[in-house]
Amino acid sequence: MKDFFETWKFRILIAVAVFLAGLMAYAAANGRLTAAPQELLSVAAAPFQKVASLVGGGISSVWDKYTSIDETMAENESLKEENAELRRQMVDYDKMKAENEAFKNLAGIQEDNPEMSFVSAFVIGRDGLDAFGGFTLDKGTAQGVERGDTVIDDEGQLLGTVIEADLTSCRVLTILHPSFNAAGVVSRTRDNGILTGDASYAAQGQCIFTDLSRESMASVGDEVITTGLGGVYPPDLLVGRIVSIEPEASGTSVIAVIQPDADVLGVKQAFIITDY
Amino acid sequence: MESRRKRRRSQLYKWGLYVLLLLACTVLQTIPGFLQFGQAKPVFLLPLALAVAVCEDEFSGALFGAVCGLMWDYTAGRTVGLLALTLMGLSFGLSVASQLYLKLTSTNFALLTAGSLWLVLSSDFLFYYAMPGYSNMLERYIAYVPLTIVMSALLSVLLYRAVSWASETFKIDNGVI
Repeated sequence: MKDFFETWKFRILIAVAVFLAGLMAYAAANGRLTAAPQELLSVAAAPFQKVASLVGGGISSVWDKYTSIDETMAENESLKEENAELRRQMVDYDKMKAENEAFKNLAGIQEDNPEMSFVSAFVIGRDGLDAFGGFTLDKGTAQGVERGDTVIDDEGQLLGTVIEADLTSCRVLTILHPSFNAAGVVSRTRDNGILTGDASYAAQGQCIFTDLSRESMASVGDEVITTGLGGVYPPDLLVGRIVSIEPEASGTSVIAVIQPDADVLGVKQAFIITDY
Repeated sequence: MESRRKRRRSQLYKWGLYVLLLLACTVLQTIPGFLQFGQAKPVFLLPLALAVAVCEDEFSGALFGAVCGLMWDYTAGRTVGLLALTLMGLSFGLSVASQLYLKLTSTNFALLTAGSLWLVLSSDFLFYYAMPGYSNMLERYIAYVPLTIVMSALLSVLLYRAVSWASETFKIDNGVI
């Protein structure tokens, strides 16, 4: 063993260690390493992750059905009742439909923002090390995705932002992460605040709305949307509903705990807004 | 004693298998919801790196550990190089220890994996959650680390067996008895 430290193999290992330390220092100083080695890793891993996520989705779906049969039956009953209620509402809906024609331009993100461009993507990777639900999508710079693009679910509800885009995949920082910051507004009262994540609520899939005025009339159940201020996120994206309002530690403002409309921890498909 | 060509071919097969295992482990580790219990989810890349390290020599083991670490860095969104350096050091240390002091059995390997994983996950927790000062992170540690270690250690036995099989099957016969 003593001889090993005098061999060329040991020198190679030291050189590799120094190279990795340099790589780490570079990556730490420049945010993330968006360079050839990482792109190579992403190109190698993404196709396998894509296939595995499809297979994994099928397996977990069968397993979920098997383990929650009672729950499913109860859910089925309640859905039947809900269905009957919905049929009754359909009659009212037809009437309202005509009225809503006038507001057609306000409905739907695409109609509101015809200049928006979307890229559809599937979640292909989630690593357990990320406590804030960060995930990898199967679209990258080859499809026009860039760092800073907004990510929404298939109903136009905010999921997060792209923090890193490789050739064929990109990583998403979710709204549950404390590093996420977006200007938001309570839809009903028009109170402004900052949407961000908090470690205390991330495990439950919740985020928070900070800097809300103490005089705010916002209450539980109110919808929070983005304002578009700062130009980072498009305006009027649905974020979630207020589930509780708590005083901030300093006492100068209050914090609203938000239950996102999107299923941030379990989402399988997403849309990336590449232009708006 | 085998010919040089036959030895080279068997080495190619063996390392080809290791690379396939590396890709398979990367995929298994990142499939959304796969073997997930609460917040815990098994880690596959670290046990694979350690298995190769104990079945091969310290040089190859350390290099393979660095590659596994790079892959983990990429998939977990960590600062590139941090897990690579950690896994390289762990693989080197474990390979040397297994050659000099340890009698390797599946149980021993599972215990070594558990210990190594505890070190890696705890340091990751320290750097990424404790030091930034996030609140209620002890709950996250308790919900994630112990169960992840247990699941990974149990599954590591399969990886150890697979790597041992590949190592033995494609072992170079140099004629020394």
